[in-house]
Amino acid sequence: MSTTSVIEVDRLNLTYGDFHAVKDLSFEVRPGELYALLGTNGAGKTSTLETIEGHRTPTSGSVRVFGRNPQDRRAVRPRMGVMLQESGFSPDLTVRESVGLIGRLTRRTDDVDRVLDLVDLTDRARRKVSQLSGGEKRRLDFATAVWGTPELIFLDEPTTGLDISSRDAVWATVDRLRENGATIMLTTHYLEEAQQRADRIGLMHQGTFHREGTVAELTRTLPAVIRFSFPAGVPALPLPAVVDADGKAVVETFALQKDLHLLLRWAQEHAVELADLEAGPTRLDDVFRAISS
Amino acid sequence: MLSIASSELIQIFRNRLVLVTSLIMPVAVCVFFVRQHETFAAIGSLGYIAAIVIFTVAAFGLYTTAVTTLASRRQNLFLKRLRSTAVADSTILTGLLLPVAVLAVVQVTAILIALAVVTDGPDNVVLLVVAVLATLAMMTSLALATAGLTNSPEHAQVTTLPVSLGVIAVASWVGISSTENLAWLKRLLPGGAATELTMTAWNGGVAVTESLPLLAPTLAWVAIAVSLATRLFRWEPRR
Repeated sequence: MSTTSVIEVDRLNLTYGDFHAVKDLSFEVRPGELYALLGTNGAGKTSTLETIEGHRTPTSGSVRVFGRNPQDRRAVRPRMGVMLQESGFSPDLTVRESVGLIGRLTRRTDDVDRVLDLVDLTDRARRKVSQLSGGEKRRLDFATAVWGTPELIFLDEPTTGLDISSRDAVWATVDRLRENGATIMLTTHYLEEAQQRADRIGLMHQGTFHREGTVAELTRTLPAVIRFSFPAGVPALPLPAVVDADGKAVVETFALQKDLHLLLRWAQEHAVELADLEAGPTRLDDVFRAISS
Repeated sequence: MLSIASSELIQIFRNRLVLVTSLIMPVAVCVFFVRQHETFAAIGSLGYIAAIVIFTVAAFGLYTTAVTTLASRRQNLFLKRLRSTAVADSTILTGLLLPVAVLAVVQVTAILIALAVVTDGPDNVVLLVVAVLATLAMMTSLALATAGLTNSPEHAQVTTLPVSLGVIAVASWVGISSTENLAWLKRLLPGGAATELTMTAWNGGVAVTESLPLLAPTLAWVAIAVSLATRLFRWEPRR
């Protein structure tokens, strides 16, 4: 493996009693990359992420972060920010106190006001954490992860529970950090986020990689899809299609442009109205459905 | 460590329930003992009052509060959050327990000074300080071990009872009946030797060289509790 990797995972195994949560997992994350770890529930992604963060000890195999053991907190943690899946803030502390405390303990330097402004929590600074909404807690968590602009940031389902504008704000901040060279390790259930932003994706299923690669590499193996509704009594369709549960025709094709043209010309010639027409490449959702079925 | 300790202190003062159980309740009990010192001196001795005051603060102010705090910080994942930073586990635990320990020292000192003012005062102050510190060390390490068996702050109300009531019972047993009979048993029970040491430090009449071996059982309890804690303590809630 390259010595320049930010994260190196080599034949990682994690077992809890009889349960083999992660099996022989190997991958690396290079500097400046946004790597998304995706998977079905129970696929082992949280176990993997927590091992890389240094919260768990591998049953076998090795994990290196910046070439060090991630459990060597003094060496590794000042260089990485962690956004946990569940907040873990004390309900009796205020927003300002929480950010200041956790920020100081990362050993990075930053300014509480700057960070609160970054996540739009300035007007909540004096509130106790117990009075925050779910979305505000996620933003507080994000604030502590980006405190001091670390080189590596772990984002464990960062936008769950956030409204659209907060989500956009989070990604705008992440984009700015990436322009400055930050490496991002992401897990998310919003597949379109991963599809839009990840350089590479590791798709976990039952403790191991089902697939790994760029979004294009993952979706290329599956056909593109055309969907439409059509009125009764039309001439025979020009393409082989199946009718789904909603009564829509679904065409799967590896030649989207050609087949779409064929369909549209047919519709034009026969004056058929194709209601709800949509066509596009395979989405990550479909890759997911393909593995879980 | 001091950042964790100061944030912990803020949390203690903001949480009324913790404030009442850890500060007000033990102080109220102690004030009662000090006011009625003639009655209790007649039952046991002034040294017995000193011992019972120390154990009341150590059992409720220190031990119960520490267990409740650790269970609560674990339950809301604050411990995990702290472990996501650059600080070591030992720093986290020290930071979390420091305010409760310092509050206990302050309370015990204030109450013993009050007792000294209304009576003739202790025979050997240094030995008394040693007895207090050994007792607080024992209760702190027992708190770490108990926290490993406690799932939530509510659960702490049950899990802390055996030790907190146990040491008060032992202190009373030793304080009232002294160690003429069953001395070895009384000294081996948690708090027994510490009570005897406190009584001799206050009442006098025993050479220091004879009293010092009484530290051994207390320190042994510290060692036992710490080794239990290293096995039992958990940083994250059970899944």
